[in-house]
Amino acid sequence: MVKKILSARSPIKTLEKNLRGGFGPGHLGVFASRKGVGKTACLVQIALDRLFEDKPVIHVSYASRVDYIISWYEELFRKLASRENLKSEMEVHDRVVRNRVILNFRQEGMKTEQVLKSMEALLGPGNFAARTIIVDGFNFYLPCAEDLAQFKKFAVDRQLEFWFSCSLKGEDPLFDDQGLPFVLKDYLSSLDIIITLEHDNGRVRLNLVKDHDQISSKKLRLELDPQTLLLTRI
Amino acid sequence: MNGTLQRMRNIGISAHIDSGKTTLTERILYYCKKIHRIHEVKGKEGGGATMDYMELERERGITITSATTNVTWNEHSINIIDTPGHVDFTIEVERSLRVLDGAILVLCSVGGVQSQTLTVDKQLKRYNVPAIAFVNKLDRIGANPFKVKDQINDKLGRRAALLQVPVGLEDKFQGLVDLIRMKAYYFDGPNGELVREEEIPPELEDLAWQYREELLDAVSLFSDEVTEAILEDRVTEEMLLRAIRKGTISREFTPVLMGSAYRNKGVQLLLDAVVNYLPDPSEVENIALDLDREEKPVILKADPTLPCVSYAFKLEEGPYGQLTYIRIYQGSLRKGDELYNTRSKQKFKVGRVVRMHADHMEDIEGAVAGDIAALFGVDCASGDTICSPGLNYAMTSIYVPEPVISLAIEASDKLSADRLAKALNRFTKEDPTFRVYIDPESKQTIIQGMGELHLDVYVERMKREYRVEVVTGRPQVAYREAITARADFDYTHKKQTGGAGQFGRVIGYIEPFDGQYEFVNEVKGGHIPREFIPSCDKGFQAMLKKGQLIGSPIIGLRVVLTDGQFHPVDSSDIAFQMAAQGAFKQAYKKARPQILEPIMKVVVETPSEFSGNVFGSLNQRRGIIVSSIEDGSYSRIEAEVPLSEMFGYSTILRSMTQGKAEFTMEFLKYSRLPASLAEQLMEEHRQKLEAGDRK
Repeated sequence: MVKKILSARSPIKTLEKNLRGGFGPGHLGVFASRKGVGKTACLVQIALDRLFEDKPVIHVSYASRVDYIISWYEELFRKLASRENLKSEMEVHDRVVRNRVILNFRQEGMKTEQVLKSMEALLGPGNFAARTIIVDGFNFYLPCAEDLAQFKKFAVDRQLEFWFSCSLKGEDPLFDDQGLPFVLKDYLSSLDIIITLEHDNGRVRLNLVKDHDQISSKKLRLELDPQTLLLTRI
Repeated sequence: MNGTLQRMRNIGISAHIDSGKTTLTERILYYCKKIHRIHEVKGKEGGGATMDYMELERERGITITSATTNVTWNEHSINIIDTPGHVDFTIEVERSLRVLDGAILVLCSVGGVQSQTLTVDKQLKRYNVPAIAFVNKLDRIGANPFKVKDQINDKLGRRAALLQVPVGLEDKFQGLVDLIRMKAYYFDGPNGELVREEEIPPELEDLAWQYREELLDAVSLFSDEVTEAILEDRVTEEMLLRAIRKGTISREFTPVLMGSAYRNKGVQLLLDAVVNYLPDPSEVENIALDLDREEKPVILKADPTLPCVSYAFKLEEGPYGQLTYIRIYQGSLRKGDELYNTRSKQKFKVGRVVRMHADHMEDIEGAVAGDIAALFGVDCASGDTICSPGLNYAMTSIYVPEPVISLAIEASDKLSADRLAKALNRFTKEDPTFRVYIDPESKQTIIQGMGELHLDVYVERMKREYRVEVVTGRPQVAYREAITARADFDYTHKKQTGGAGQFGRVIGYIEPFDGQYEFVNEVKGGHIPREFIPSCDKGFQAMLKKGQLIGSPIIGLRVVLTDGQFHPVDSSDIAFQMAAQGAFKQAYKKARPQILEPIMKVVVETPSEFSGNVFGSLNQRRGIIVSSIEDGSYSRIEAEVPLSEMFGYSTILRSMTQGKAEFTMEFLKYSRLPASLAEQLMEEHRQKLEAGDRK
């Protein structure tokens, strides 16, 4: 019950309400920004939002060490719990941990096929009923149209939602005049939602640049508090 | 005398179970001329290697107990403590590590850093043991020492660099290029005893220089001398040896050597490295606690002229009585000396002093600081500190984990009951994680330990060493009870009918607490006289031994005594104890007690193709899968699983993965047992109590 309330107040719900087609099974979403702006914080908060509703989440990571990822969850859980004045914190925490599995692929150039196979193993024989998949550290700068198509098909077939992070690098400009990151332009057919994060006078604003079939930059009424890294409504 | 100390090494060989540690030890003994024939570990020629001398270990092809042996290499005296690799016997490893000054960390060149390697590595770090790495089995298909070196850096978080590169690999493995001398070495003769130095094969020149560069880079991080010399291009062999030694001892650097013990290649160079890079006893700081001065830490000096301080780290029942392995930290001991056991407060005279080989011994006159020796006929337990009379020191106690599993045992016939008692007495002295008690209700003998295999090994040792056939019950998990809410009590114990009366009243509350138990006295105004406060504490503590849910010990509880009442004549120690017990009974149920079960951290390493099966098997066992790390074709799956669900898991895992997966587990925490299972346990407990009443 506590969690329901917490979840209803969640800025993630605001985010979803702002999307024209909503977000759900079969969809792929991306948070894009330069390194260190707050993509992982956004991803983890989406995961926590689902976990607060007792919905299992698989967190796929291509780079970070497991303990590093866990510390992200711990940190943001603690801050959310204290912001929302969460009762029975330990019990909720236990359930969050129980419903989260971290899949870490350390090797450079791990094939998407293999990643999906592992996910399949966890969902099938592993009996882990995840509906949300978080993918952190996927390299969009390598040719990956086919990989994303595979992710998309998997999402549709298994009725999963996927949230990716995309780390932007290189010289400016990184975005076209509609606010779309250049690197993602080849993959628009697979990606349903693209949100970019930008620094704006000491704050981090979220812009919705692709909302299903509509491409136009729209400032979301959300920002990332640079101190706590929590998403807040504005 | 100082020269002797500098030529002494106490080392252990720590490794994953199949990395070839026993074979390596065997070769070391051979090259140091301690044995004259090479045996192979089980399965190759039936003899069994010299170091795992216990029959049981021979049969299983693993080493369980740590035997020590002394060898000489290049005029250095090296004590080797053979440490077991299996996680179920970690107390053995930990006790050995306590007395080591350095270690060889053996890795398999195919498997690399595996889950047990991580466990062993953690232990080395916990006891600050400097280590050199030896990548073994270069003759195996898939051998890749370069990858293993990277894993030592990445997975173990050590700063490691190769000191050698191989000449050929797998079935073409011939020798090694030493990156310090920049020479190639080959191992000739039927058992590789003749080391031949050659120039580096031209095709390996580039590779050798490349890895030498990497070595210099790594070393220059902690040696200014080398950094300067690199700039001026005048790095000498001595300079490098000095820097690597310094880095290894300060644990900033891990030199990586390699070879194939089985093919007799590389072992002599490893021995050179032990002498060159691992510390002598004077280079390691050891601290004792002075029991006469509130356990004030005292730094021990490896000086043979000072009073003796030594540590009994292992006991063994030999054909001639009890053998006590000791490490001497300060002073010296000789036959006929009088020594003092600071735990039992007993004095004793030193009888025979021996130096151990794996299964034979050599009598010596005495031993000095830094050395490891064994004493005969000393009555002590492992972990005891033994000093010269006048000193009352204790070596810092080693960390002893609480047992998590228990098993009821019974001798199959009356005749062997005596021998069983003897065996149990011996094992509890040898191994602090192995415990025995008699269940007062069932009158059964219960043994407790760290895992299924741990207890299995002792049951087998009873059969083999003491000829006791035992019947075992089902393994039982060590449950606990804990309260989850605060509850008040106000209880009066009153018995004032004829004769001496009893009166005591206690008021206060119990509440959940982070530690084991705490008693807080807040009684004011002398409502309970001061002399009866400890009686109350005692009364409460008596109740913690058996909770009311399933009779398991209660943990995590604080008692706060706020008020009370006494009677000038009828109040007594016993009356307040009874009052406390009554109060506890009154409050416990109100404090919403629950049953806790031990949760194990389970790590499974499996070829990725089986990871689905492994996920499923852990899930079925009420496990939480924390993570799965995929690296190439292998997955390392970490999970938290209740111990009660893990019985027989090794068999299931083997059959599920064609024997290709392995797992380790260690106690993680106590956690709440799900309600349905708790109900079941409570019902069983009720039935047991009722059955007891009927009797």
